[in-house]
Amino acid sequence: MIYILRRVAFYLAAFFVAVTLNFFIPRIMPGDPSARIIASFQGRLNDAQVEAIRASYGTTGSLWEQYIGYVGQVLRMDFGISTVQFPEPTSSLLFYGATWTLVLVGIAITLAFLIGTMMGIHAAWNRGGFFDSVFTPINVMLNAFTPAVVALLLFYAFSLQLQWFPLGRAHSTGLVPSWDPQFIGNVLYHATLPVLSILIVSFGGWHLGMRNVMINLLNEDFVILARAKGLSDRRIRYRYVARNAILPQITSLALSVGFLLGGALVTEQVFNYPGLGKFTVTAIESRDYSFIQAQLLLLTMSALVANLLSDIANVILDPRLRKG
Amino acid sequence: MYSDRVLMQVRNLTVDYVGDHSVARAVNGIDFDIREGEAFGLAGESGCGKSTVAFALARLTRLPGLVSGGEVRLNGEDVLKFDKARLKAYRWNEVSFVFQSAMNALNPVIPVSEQIMDVIETHQPDLGAEGARKRASELFDLVGIPSRRLDDYPHQFSGGMRQRICIAIALALQPRLIIMDEPTTALDVVVQRDIIEQIVELKGRLGFSVLFITHDLGLMIEFCDRIGVMYSGELVEVAPAEAILTNPRHPYTRALGNSFPPLIGPRLRMEGIPGTPPDLRSLPEGCRFAPRCPHAMDVCRSVAPELRAYPELRSEAACHLLN
Ligand SMILES: Nc1ncnc2c1ncn2[C@@H]1O[C@H](COP(=O)(O)OP(=O)(O)OP(=O)(O)O)[C@@H](O)[C@H]1O
Ligand SMILES: [Mg+2]
Repeated sequence: MIYILRRVAFYLAAFFVAVTLNFFIPRIMPGDPSARIIASFQGRLNDAQVEAIRASYGTTGSLWEQYIGYVGQVLRMDFGISTVQFPEPTSSLLFYGATWTLVLVGIAITLAFLIGTMMGIHAAWNRGGFFDSVFTPINVMLNAFTPAVVALLLFYAFSLQLQWFPLGRAHSTGLVPSWDPQFIGNVLYHATLPVLSILIVSFGGWHLGMRNVMINLLNEDFVILARAKGLSDRRIRYRYVARNAILPQITSLALSVGFLLGGALVTEQVFNYPGLGKFTVTAIESRDYSFIQAQLLLLTMSALVANLLSDIANVILDPRLRKG
Repeated sequence: MYSDRVLMQVRNLTVDYVGDHSVARAVNGIDFDIREGEAFGLAGESGCGKSTVAFALARLTRLPGLVSGGEVRLNGEDVLKFDKARLKAYRWNEVSFVFQSAMNALNPVIPVSEQIMDVIETHQPDLGAEGARKRASELFDLVGIPSRRLDDYPHQFSGGMRQRICIAIALALQPRLIIMDEPTTALDVVVQRDIIEQIVELKGRLGFSVLFITHDLGLMIEFCDRIGVMYSGELVEVAPAEAILTNPRHPYTRALGNSFPPLIGPRLRMEGIPGTPPDLRSLPEGCRFAPRCPHAMDVCRSVAPELRAYPELRSEAACHLLN
């Protein structure tokens, strides 16, 4: 428990540092976001209006006042108004995009982890056997692909040529988001190719990681003892070897969240999927500061949350961390 | 304490380690008996093949190791010829193992109760989970750990307690023979003594035999009934423990005895054994110890001596000097 509390304190501090950096970096860069909006009105604004726009971007007052204001906004999850989709609030765009990205990344990461880990267990257990000699090299190769290449290939083959899958969007137009099976089915249908492109490049990593850790564990005394005790293969494989090998996998899972989000950004571009990545690219093109800032913050936050979750999972799975 | 009934007969046991380009014969045709209820010690410098023998007896040899010849007879049956089913019954019902490092011998992420119960449940399914648990707590009593700690995890125990737990696991099915490969090396001296005393006590009570390996010759002489001294994959002397101490026949045994501080009496100067054991891939002709032997004769450098019995001392030794 103390361990978890310490981790939480650490992540809160890290979050605060991220917020601070996030505040200062855009202000060091040239070009004030509100200046752009004001300029686009070509002098047709009076002083009060200029001041109001400034205020809504948090660029009035001293740096310190701006900073306090910014922290307050972050805590309220209020990221101001989007410059591009003016006057849409940034947070609603952000959460809309984040929801779809979460759908993609959530499904992809879960499947990749499960498939890769199971394959790794199997390959390590029958090391040098048929399965290991065929799938281990294949998975190493797939793991070396970039999501962009795979996404483009899949898009070209299955969306453009064969037309088995849609050309874009998270669900068909005309459907209203709800929890009914038809809508969920539609969402899964639209998510298939994007998920597949992230999945294909990432499950090999789990396969390799699990395989290597398992193989090292096979020489441990406790595994030799388990065999000598005459326990069933199944029990040794899962309860003795995999049960230990899974611990480093969970730590890497948290570390991979950043990489996966990066992959998702590209994939969303290719499949015209309305996730964070799609909005981010638009935001960068149009210098939508508040969106980019908020999006960075969200990425930081998801990395921290992922790490916290993996810490908690590790405490649950590893009794050695549980004391105190 | 021990009878003359032989429990395990090892004959001409040969174990190789197969490399890419060469084969190292780590155990070269050794013979010895383990009697019922006795503690038999295997002594010798690091790398002489003690663990290799221990693993072979339990049929735990794994590649690159290969048992390439000989017999290991348990009550007449050849262990090396056991099929999978017979082997499963052999290991743990008849022979069990205690490893050197108790920390590594226990699965760190599951409770110790499970690690005792699983072997009981595997071999005695009729007992059921409840019966297995009852047996586990009896075993804890037996090795002197409060049974309320049954569900603790390995890291919650001290090193000595962990080794006791490993002994409890080894005792789970009341085997005839427990192989202990350096069971106390990782522990401090006081704990080491406690554990040995415990093993002696349990052995007296339950009547199992022990194959005991340690680097501590003093400890071995104290604990074991008979000792086999190995050099470079061969047994050079097999004798009652006190004879190893008081009347060593083989020059290597003598040198080994001199390299340890005596148990009683003044601490004499410790002599290491000059030189190093030969490389298994380029062995000297004749006696393997000859290059380091202060008494080596011409015959030693050409003819390998056989292990011969010296009944008056109840010992066996392989040395030309004795003829
Ligand atoms: N896996 C292996 N592959 C190749 N050679 C090995 C292997 N294990 C042991 N050997 C060799 O076999 C010989 C005997 O090793 P073994 O471990 O049985 O010695 P030991 O007497 O138990 O030594 P120690 O006292 O250090 O435990 C050594 O020369 C060693 O180098
Ligand atoms: Mg050894």
